[in-house]
Amino acid sequence: MPKFKMPPPHGGRLVERVVEKRDVAEKMAAGAIEYELKPTTDPKGVPIRHVYREIISVCYGFFSPVEGSMTSGDLERVLKERRLENEWVFPYPILFDISDEDLKALNVSEGDRLLLKLKGQPFAIMDVEEIYKIDPKDVATRTFGTPENNPEVVRQPFDEKHPGWMIYRCMHPNVIAGKWTIINPPKFREPYDRFWFPPRKCREVIKNEKKWRTVIAHQTRNVPHTGHEMLMKCAAYTGDIEPCHGILVNAIIGAKRKGDYPNEAILEGHEAVNKYGYIKPSRHMVTFTLWDMRYGNPIESLLHGIIRQNMGCTHHMFGRDHAAVGEYYDKFATQILWSEGIPSFGFEAPPNEVDYGLKIIPQNMAEFWYCPICGEIAYSENCGHTDAKQKFSGSFLRGMVAEGVMPPKVVMRPEVYRAIVKWWKVFNYPFVNNKYLEYINKELEIDLEPMEIPKA
Amino acid sequence: MIWSRWRFLRREVVEMVHYIGIILDDKRYEQIKGTPLEEKIQYIFGGTLRMLVVEVPEDKSQQILKAFDRARIDSRGFIEDLPVAFKRALFEEIAKAKSLDVIDKILERLPEIQELAKKEEEYIPPPEIE
Repeated sequence: MPKFKMPPPHGGRLVERVVEKRDVAEKMAAGAIEYELKPTTDPKGVPIRHVYREIISVCYGFFSPVEGSMTSGDLERVLKERRLENEWVFPYPILFDISDEDLKALNVSEGDRLLLKLKGQPFAIMDVEEIYKIDPKDVATRTFGTPENNPEVVRQPFDEKHPGWMIYRCMHPNVIAGKWTIINPPKFREPYDRFWFPPRKCREVIKNEKKWRTVIAHQTRNVPHTGHEMLMKCAAYTGDIEPCHGILVNAIIGAKRKGDYPNEAILEGHEAVNKYGYIKPSRHMVTFTLWDMRYGNPIESLLHGIIRQNMGCTHHMFGRDHAAVGEYYDKFATQILWSEGIPSFGFEAPPNEVDYGLKIIPQNMAEFWYCPICGEIAYSENCGHTDAKQKFSGSFLRGMVAEGVMPPKVVMRPEVYRAIVKWWKVFNYPFVNNKYLEYINKELEIDLEPMEIPKA
Repeated sequence: MIWSRWRFLRREVVEMVHYIGIILDDKRYEQIKGTPLEEKIQYIFGGTLRMLVVEVPEDKSQQILKAFDRARIDSRGFIEDLPVAFKRALFEEIAKAKSLDVIDKILERLPEIQELAKKEEEYIPPPEIE
């Protein structure tokens, strides 16, 4: 077996669109038309997405080879075949949407330059390539699929209860397409700052500091229970001539569905796993990507593969119900995609076996449960005591946490629980609620330094 | 294919009777100790957790799911993401009746529990831990 090495970025080149030099940035933004970025809100006015997270993820290369808001050609190709016009696989529409009123007020046209402001400060510029209309409901439905068009994995029609569908459904009907460039690099606030490893930095850390040749990525939107920990430990036994050298936890940070844990608790909960030695820090590293999670199970898994390949991972573990909510998709839709492909989504073969596909290697994992007969956390494909299994259920754990009961350490490490309680005390609530969504929409994860842009 | 087998198993789970689990901390355990309920305690995760399991017929679980928009049936067939107020009221009824057959009583109290649950959306007191 050949030894694996770090794969190239998706698309062959890491996108980096961040200008560090202040004088260069000021010149680039001079005379641009100003626009203050706004969140996407649901019909009740609750913020459910902020495009600034997509701008950061694009400009730092997490979403390479995407360089900005998609043109109508890219959008159509992504919705039809999950590919960009340049052929590279990409799962989701990345769109800079804008209301009729704002578009009219801006009075921009193709070739113009926009200065995108955030928290009142210059943040990024955008070169307008195209302005076009969308039907947000149509984009939402085609993004996630339907039982009729995608019978392999879609089990029920998407609706208002699905947070990802709602993000696209609530977008404005106008899209401005064009490349983004950050001109005022963000300063991440605590605790985000110590987990910020954009792709170039992450690749350097993996190669030069950690000296990992093989790395398996762990997707998370949750504080870890011991089932997650066992998933990480066991999936990492894959590799080539030896188990993977490193486990890269990459948390998706942004607006989440109500009832999930706050972003801060997720990061510190995972950090506790290595800080307290459940997996040695020399083998385990916690990072994050800014993205308002779409909960798109197989579609989301493609984005996860791209992000983590760009960060330098060789492998990606995929568990049951990957990045899912509700019963919209088959619980093993992600495994079906990565083991057989899903033709109706444009994959006659797994995404790492198609042209212009991914190079990251999937590790599809089944389930972990507690077996009282084995007396340990068992893997479903090993344990023969199926009738006795005691499944890990995130919602069961959330119920226990909400009732103020400290989970036993066989289910959740006490240090992880302490991370939950630490942030519970800050937000007066253990989970995401409307108040938390409003808080993160106001404060965001970053601050920007004041910047004066000379008038044209 | 192995995945097809899992899909089949999943359909079976969906058609099962649903359940609600009530965790028994020491305080709750003291309230039912010595009653017939004690025999019904399930010890899970290596005996580290005590739980009473209430069976909920399909039609009644639908009423509960309708009353609380975040409530859902998890992969074990348990109704989860229920408000703390619901679980608290359910335990009260169990302790009062010394029986697990209390779902009808709880359904009668749904409007009152819904009111309490609304307050819970803003604030749940954090536990005091070291």
